[in-house]
Amino acid sequence: MPPRRLTFVEALVEGMRGEMRRDPDVFLMGQDVGVMGGAMGGSKGLYDEFGPRRVRETPISESAMVGAAVGAALTGKRPIVEVSFGEFLPTCMNQIVLQAANLHYMTAGKASVPMVLRTRVGDGPYRGHPQCFEAWFTHVPGLKVVMPSTPADGLGMMVAAIRDPNPVLFFEHMYLYHAIRGDVPDGDHATPLGKVFVRREGTDVTVAATGWMVHKALAAAELLGGEGVSVEVIDVACLAPLDFDTIAASIRKTSRLIVAHEAWKVGGLGAEIAAEAAERCFFDLDAPVVRVGAPQTPLPLAKPLRDRFLPGTHDILSAIRTVLTT
Amino acid sequence: MTISSTTAGSSSGAVHGAPAGESIRDTLAAHVSPDDRLALLRNMILCRVLERACCELNPRWFPAEGEEATIVGTFYGLRPDDVIAAHYRGPFIAYAMRGAELGRLVGQALGKANGYAKGRALGFTGPVELNIVPWVAGDLGTSLGVATGAALGLQYEGGDRVAVVSFGDGTSNRGDFHEAVNLAAVWKLPIVYVCQHNQYSISLHASQVLACGSIAARAAGYGIPGVSVDGNDVRAVHAVVQEAIGRARAGEGPTLIEACTYRLGGHWASDPGGYRSPEEENEWRRRDPLPGYERQLLAEGLVDQPALARLWDEVRAQVAAAVAEAQAAPPADEADLGLDEVFAGESALANGCK
Repeated sequence: MPPRRLTFVEALVEGMRGEMRRDPDVFLMGQDVGVMGGAMGGSKGLYDEFGPRRVRETPISESAMVGAAVGAALTGKRPIVEVSFGEFLPTCMNQIVLQAANLHYMTAGKASVPMVLRTRVGDGPYRGHPQCFEAWFTHVPGLKVVMPSTPADGLGMMVAAIRDPNPVLFFEHMYLYHAIRGDVPDGDHATPLGKVFVRREGTDVTVAATGWMVHKALAAAELLGGEGVSVEVIDVACLAPLDFDTIAASIRKTSRLIVAHEAWKVGGLGAEIAAEAAERCFFDLDAPVVRVGAPQTPLPLAKPLRDRFLPGTHDILSAIRTVLTT
Repeated sequence: MTISSTTAGSSSGAVHGAPAGESIRDTLAAHVSPDDRLALLRNMILCRVLERACCELNPRWFPAEGEEATIVGTFYGLRPDDVIAAHYRGPFIAYAMRGAELGRLVGQALGKANGYAKGRALGFTGPVELNIVPWVAGDLGTSLGVATGAALGLQYEGGDRVAVVSFGDGTSNRGDFHEAVNLAAVWKLPIVYVCQHNQYSISLHASQVLACGSIAARAAGYGIPGVSVDGNDVRAVHAVVQEAIGRARAGEGPTLIEACTYRLGGHWASDPGGYRSPEEENEWRRRDPLPGYERQLLAEGLVDQPALARLWDEVRAQVAAAVAEAQAAPPADEADLGLDEVFAGESALANGCK
C-alpha cells in the first residue's frame, strides 16, 4: 500500500480518530468541535463517527473545559480538550499550571493526568488569533509541550500525546494546517515525545526551530546550499521536556547555533536553548548564539505591520550570515 | 432551621437565618436514622477536636470551628466510590470519614514525612486513592473545575457515582465557579456543589462582596435547583445534600446548595481579627452548632450526659494519639524532592480516583 499523503490538519484528525477507535476512554471536547467539524476543520468527521458523547460541544468556558479534562483524567479517562486558539490560554492558566502540572508530583505519584490540550497558534491563512504563548508553559514543571511541524509528526505526536500519562500541551501552527501535505505512516504510529529531530543534516551551522519556522529554516538552508553553506536544521517538535542532547551533538559538529521561533524573542524558548548552549557547549561554539524571534511589541494586526513583525526566512538567512562571519 | 429552594426560573432568593417551621425540620430529621444522628455527632466532635489540635500546632492552619455541621452534614454518608473535593477549611473530617488516617493527616498539617503526599502538596490535601480530589493548587476555584471534570468522568463511564464539592462563599465569586456550574448544568453532570458559606472572605463580610445576598439564588441563572439551608443544622445539611445526591445519581444533574454558617475563629489560627464586632461573634457563638446538636440529641433521648462525656473522651484520646503519631514522625525528607518524579511513567494510570 502506498503511503498516505495528508495535510497537516488531516493528519491531526487522523491521529485522534485512530486513538478514539482504539481506546473508548478517549474523547474530545471543545467549542465547535462537533457538527461544524472544528475550527479550520480541526476535528472534521469525528462527530459523525463518534457522536455527541465522545465529541462534546462546550460553552465558551476555557477554565471549566480544562478543569473538566483534568478531573476526567483523574478518574482514568483520556480527554482531549481543545482550546480553539492559543490566545485563549490565559483564560485557563490556573487549571494548566496549578492543577494539571502539579497533580502527579504533588500526590507523590498516586495520581496522573493523561490529558491533551490542543490549541492553534501562529500566523495562519486567516491571520486571526496568531499569538504564540507556548514558551510560557515550558517554564512549568510537569507539562509536556509539543509543536509538530510535519503531517507525520502531527499524527504521530497526537497519538503519543493521547497515550501519554501526563498533561500534554499540543500547539498546532495554523499556517501548516492546509499548506503542508506529506506522507504519513500507516498503522499504529506514535512519534516519541521528548525528542527533537534533525530535518536536514549540515556541517557549517545549526538552526534549531519550531513550527512554521522549521520550514523557513529549511528554505534558508536550501538557498544557502547553492552558495556552498551547509546548514543543519533541527525541528524542536517537543519544547518540553527539551532534548538538548541532540542539539548539543549538532553544535559539536557545526560550532554555530541559531534558534528560531515565531514567538517573541525575549524570554522565549530560544533564550532557554541559548542558555543551555552557553552552559554546556561554550567551548564548542565558534560564534555567539543568535536568536531569531518576534520583536518586543504586541502583535499588530494590519498586514504591513504584521509582515514586519513576523520573523521570516530572510531573518534566518541574515542570522546565518552573521554567525558565519563572526 | 431554614430551608428554602430556588428552582430554575424562580427569582426568589433564600433568606438566611429566618425561622422556619418545626414541621420542615421534623420531616428532614425523620430521614436521618438514629445511628446516623449519633455518627453525625461523633464526627462533629472529631472535627472540632481535630481542627483545634491542628490550630494549636500550626498557627497558619485555617480554623473550621463553627462550620462542623456543614462539613460533616455534607460529606457524611457518601459511597466510597463517590468522588469528593472538600473546601480547605476543615477538610480532614471529610477525609477521615472516607478512611484517611488521622495521624497522617495531622502530619500533613505539621509538614511531616508521614503525610499522604511526601510533603509536596498543601497541608490540607487528602489521599487521592480514597477518591479525594487533592489540594495541589494554592488558588481557590480550580478545584471546582476539577471536581466537575471528575463528575464528567463518572458520567462518561456510566453507573451512578457522584461527585460532591464544597467551597467557600468567597470562592463563589471566582469565574471558575460560574464556568464550572454552567458546564455541569448543561451536561447534567452528577455533582453537588455545596457552598460552605461562613460569611467571610478572610476579612470581608459577604455583604461587601455579594450584591445578590444568596448564593443559592444564583442556581436559577444556571437552570438548576438551588437550596439554602441552615449550615449549623447538621441533619438539615445532610438531608439536603443527600436529596441532591439522589438527583445526581438519577441522572438529573447538579444542585447548588448554600449552607449558611459562621467562621467562629480567624481566617488562620493566629488571625488577630478585629474586622468584626464582638456582638456578632458572641451571637454566633451562642448558635454554635455543636452544643446545639448535643442539646437536640439529649432532648431526643439518643444520648445522655454520661454517654456524651464518654464520647468526648474517646475522641480526645483518638486525636491525642494522632497528634503523638504526627509529632513523632520525622519532618518531610529533602530526599523526596523527587526531581525524577515530576512526570508519570507509562504505567502510572493504575491509581488516581478509581
